[in-house]
Amino acid sequence: MKPELVITGAGVVSAIGVGKAANLDSLQHARSGVAPVRYLATDLKDFPVGEVKLSNEELGALCGAPAEWPRTTLLSICALQEALKEAGLADGCGMRLIGGTTVGGMDLTEKIFPQYSPNHGCGATTDLAALFIGGFEDATTLSTACSSAANAFMFGANLLRTGQYERVVVGGSESLSNYHLNGFNSLMILDREPCRPFDATRAGLNLGEGAAYLVLETLESALKRGAKPLARLSGFGNACDAFHQTASSENGEGAYLAMQKALKMAGLQPSQIDYINAHGTGTPNNDASESTALKRIFDGKVPPVSSTKAFTGHTTSASGSIEAVFCLLALQHGFIPPQLNYSTPDPACVMPCVSALQKPLKHILSNAFGFGGNDSSIILSVYE
Amino acid sequence: MLDMENLINELKLKVIDALNLDGMTPEDIDDNAPLFGDEGLGLDSIDVLELIVLLEKNYGIRLASPAQGKEVFQSVAVMAAYVEKNRTK
Amino acid sequence: MKQVSIPSGASLTELYRKWVGDYPKFFKMDTLSKLGFLLTEMLVHDEPDRFTFREDRAVLVFSREGCVANDRHYAESMKDFPSPALFVYTLPNIVSGEIAIRNKWGGESSAYVLESYDEARIWEMVRQAFQDKCTQSALVAWIDCPSDNEFITNAWLVNKTDML
Repeated sequence: MKPELVITGAGVVSAIGVGKAANLDSLQHARSGVAPVRYLATDLKDFPVGEVKLSNEELGALCGAPAEWPRTTLLSICALQEALKEAGLADGCGMRLIGGTTVGGMDLTEKIFPQYSPNHGCGATTDLAALFIGGFEDATTLSTACSSAANAFMFGANLLRTGQYERVVVGGSESLSNYHLNGFNSLMILDREPCRPFDATRAGLNLGEGAAYLVLETLESALKRGAKPLARLSGFGNACDAFHQTASSENGEGAYLAMQKALKMAGLQPSQIDYINAHGTGTPNNDASESTALKRIFDGKVPPVSSTKAFTGHTTSASGSIEAVFCLLALQHGFIPPQLNYSTPDPACVMPCVSALQKPLKHILSNAFGFGGNDSSIILSVYE
Repeated sequence: MLDMENLINELKLKVIDALNLDGMTPEDIDDNAPLFGDEGLGLDSIDVLELIVLLEKNYGIRLASPAQGKEVFQSVAVMAAYVEKNRTK
Repeated sequence: MKQVSIPSGASLTELYRKWVGDYPKFFKMDTLSKLGFLLTEMLVHDEPDRFTFREDRAVLVFSREGCVANDRHYAESMKDFPSPALFVYTLPNIVSGEIAIRNKWGGESSAYVLESYDEARIWEMVRQAFQDKCTQSALVAWIDCPSDNEFITNAWLVNKTDML
């Protein structure tokens, strides 16, 4: 891909910790953050969730923003601060911020003004985070459900490839809200137990929350300012499953096309992929469909695969970037995050990796599939 | 029997309303016609979920899963028999 | 480059009967999706082989209000029984999905929420979409739908050659 695109900073907040070090520790020690709901005021207490283990007051204190702000914004700010610090940038520095979200400020409006909840524009929380950090030239919000943050990557990459920016910040943020917890429950795809991606007994997903942002720039820009490239964004692809509003097709066509595009852009053979961070929500439908797509693309020889949603829950619009950060950590530290909660193989599914394998990794594929058949894949590669 | 006939008619009206079956009347729905699949009304998985809500909202019956839903919603007649047996309101 | 629009407050059922007539799932869609669906129909109804699966057409939907009209209906339903059929449409990109499902388009699809109707920004993003070498044409729509009866729409079928 020309020009070469590199990641120079990353920040994350999730159910398994605040900051990359905490998340890394949890991943390496198989410590899940999925637990009974604690912070969200809801009647749906039966469903375990991947909550960030801090109240809004604590988040506010951590990042210096008012605790009364939407949780989505507070999570964004925490992740942005970590990413920018690592990239050696004082603030927005004239970059474009591209964030994905579905919930936006709903967590707040549904509490205070339930009748106005749908009026709280979903771009507002990204804009507020950009304003707080300061220095961004512009902010854009993408809202394509669970592929939002991955699509933010692509949008940012395209801005770089067309020479409109040298440096962008991409990612997503999502907080739990009654609105979408109730919604997922009405679709009957939530599990009353911690989710079990790819397992024959899997019964649904656990909702999660969190935020992750990454500084993405051209290699030239990074080298020019003496920033250390952490990894390369070597390929990406988006395709539409064109099957159903919320379910995936049996042969995983959209997923297959998205992965194929990503591999082609990266100039990689499927056999060169060392690890797949699957979308793997734990629903009977997604895991079967994604497995079919994986088996098709990898011609039956699927590399080590796991879904980290058993650690964090399904963070929906933030999942593409939270999981990209996990892939970055995997590349940097040479390990494969294990599949938690897996015990019964399903012949229709891939067999994920259950122990945290230590091995040097060169290329990682990460999937993020959204409602509307919006399927995205990105490939992160080691920078050498 | 009249009760069952009334219930079937009532269900047809509710199904038409809940599933936005535009322009349909109860006369258009055969009591025993399959609701799902191409031979039937062509309802899909989201429709199953809406019918599950319909059952709880109107008759106090809570189905456990979409799979159970597909069993109960085979036709309006099957649905009516199930409602008659299990309704709590 | 073909362009169409639907006037605010138009009867979508009438337009459906005029342009389509054989897709009952239309009636389950929210207004945003119905508009996107109909605008697309108006643009491609006479395209040869229109229902043959293709990967080379992107779908980009832009709006200011997203799916807020439907979001309100869902919020209302949450008061007693949250409706799954309404929840499905509480995302601003399901409209792209509905267009893709109907027309069998497996290319890139996206949804953007902008502060206002910004032609420069819209065409900048369309240009981005053509960065994907696979993409030869794009369905681009601006659909602003603050309520079920008020909407502003504009849609284009853009070929790669139009962007030069």
